[in-house]
Amino acid sequence: MGSEAIYSTTFASLKDTDTVADATARMLTDRVSDLPVVDASGALVGLFRLDRLYAALLPRGALLDGGLTDLAFVSDTLGQLREKMREIEHCPVREFTAMPEHVVHPETPPLQIVLLLHQGANNIPVVSPDGGKLVGMASARDVLAALGKRASA
Amino acid sequence: MHGETHAAAILFGLPALGVATTLFVGTYIVIMTDKVNRAIVALLGAGLLILVGVMTQSDALAAVDFNTLGLLLGMMLIVNITRRSGLFQYVAIWSAKKVKASPWGVMLMMSIVTAFFSAFLDNVTTVLLTVPVTLLMTEELKVKPYPYLFAQIFASNIGGTATLIGDPPNIMIGSATGLTFNDFAFHLTPIIAVIMVATMVPLYYVWGRHLVATEENRRHVMSFNESQSITDARLLKQSLAVIALVIVGFMLQRQIGIEPATIAIFGAAVLMLLDNLGRDSETQSKNVHAALSEAEWITLMFFLGLFVLVHGIQKAGLIDLMAQALLKATGGDFNVTTLAILWASAILSAFIDNIPFVATMIPLIKSMAPNLGGDAALLPLWWALSLGACLGGNGTLIGASANLVVAGLADRAGIAFRFVEFLKVAFPLMLLSILISHAYLYARYL
Repeated sequence: MGSEAIYSTTFASLKDTDTVADATARMLTDRVSDLPVVDASGALVGLFRLDRLYAALLPRGALLDGGLTDLAFVSDTLGQLREKMREIEHCPVREFTAMPEHVVHPETPPLQIVLLLHQGANNIPVVSPDGGKLVGMASARDVLAALGKRASA
Repeated sequence: MHGETHAAAILFGLPALGVATTLFVGTYIVIMTDKVNRAIVALLGAGLLILVGVMTQSDALAAVDFNTLGLLLGMMLIVNITRRSGLFQYVAIWSAKKVKASPWGVMLMMSIVTAFFSAFLDNVTTVLLTVPVTLLMTEELKVKPYPYLFAQIFASNIGGTATLIGDPPNIMIGSATGLTFNDFAFHLTPIIAVIMVATMVPLYYVWGRHLVATEENRRHVMSFNESQSITDARLLKQSLAVIALVIVGFMLQRQIGIEPATIAIFGAAVLMLLDNLGRDSETQSKNVHAALSEAEWITLMFFLGLFVLVHGIQKAGLIDLMAQALLKATGGDFNVTTLAILWASAILSAFIDNIPFVATMIPLIKSMAPNLGGDAALLPLWWALSLGACLGGNGTLIGASANLVVAGLADRAGIAFRFVEFLKVAFPLMLLSILISHAYLYARYL
């Protein structure tokens, strides 16, 4: 059984040439924390994630394994953070894009998608097996919606 | 089954010396290639020595220096618990502010802090604690981080040489010879202070005097509130109390007649107890599990395998042959032998891991005792080995674990550390430190 019923085929996405400013505007509009990024052919390039954006605002010493785990002693103001944000918002999203740990196919069984969500995946791209074209997104919200429909059927 | 009878029954009828030497050299070569984790290689080599009959399991267990392992483990546990308090960040930030966040001042102070911590902690742990703070400060000052990280590598290896507990070679030498914390402090700490100063002078001329930061960027660093970096004041007090007691224990080691491993492990146990007093059993389990799992088990297992390997070649007679060859090469002259050990240790340690090197050299030096005036006369040789093996690690990027760890952290932060670029400044600086050590040994002991 395929997973058509459990993922959404209408989803917001970014082109790899879009800027960080485009991405954040879209995130605020669509109230999402991850956005898939596709190339000119529609193939998945990766996910633009909020945590990548936050990482760009943090000092390098805080991003290392075993690095600074507490920055309470750094008194950077919101204004200084905004300055950093201004520096990166014209950068293309591909610089902040990473391929997610899990990608599923349209034929992936729904239970596998539920398992991935249970294991902590947030938004799972659904790509075609040939060419990796992005055809959908499976999120917790999509799964809940799909389960709700089934329950009421 | 006992070793002596077992050693004769070598697989394929080959002599013990040939088999042990082949396994020993093969193991060291594989360790040097870095293709397989060094703990795996050392344990495999040790296991093979038993399997082919060079020694029995009871021989192997007897060969393991549990004093070295216990001291290492105890200090690892104390550091892992203490780091949660934010103490190390506090000291680093406080010291940078003391020099008004001037770029050269920060480089100097971070080097001094790194050297000081390294004198009491494992070098790798020290750089793991200090490098993130250095990266933060250089980012705020908008200066190139490379010179700072380079200086910290040097400071870490130099500082580690200063005490019994600063660097594994010293722990091994101390354990094998009975030399105490005070012996190391009396004989090595003064010259290490001189070497530290002598190293910072060229670093100032190479990089320090060119470092510039704007007033605004310096104000950013000056605005750091170091007291906010203390994340657990209760743990901080407990840690400082235990560390102080452990250091006092090391200093009184001879008077109280207790080995350093016992002092360190006991200190770690007391700190774990204090840290967990009044906490529920689940939290206690979580805390203790975290402290234990953060110990460098790879290093500990590597040591365990090495002790067995070295005992294997010692039992087979290779160490005696090597000692005789060294004495022949130096003409049995005490001064020449001492300085030869210093320079050879330094040059070799710049390219190979100094831990297996020192593990091999310890029995070798001991076996030369009858020709060099007995055990009591060997003191300068131990200092030569310590200075050469520890400081030699500064010569190349692969010379010491701390170098590789800093290079790895830098790489992940987008800062390139290249072997040749590092070598061009590091090797002459390392030679300078050995030259100073040479003069010191000659003037004080020879």
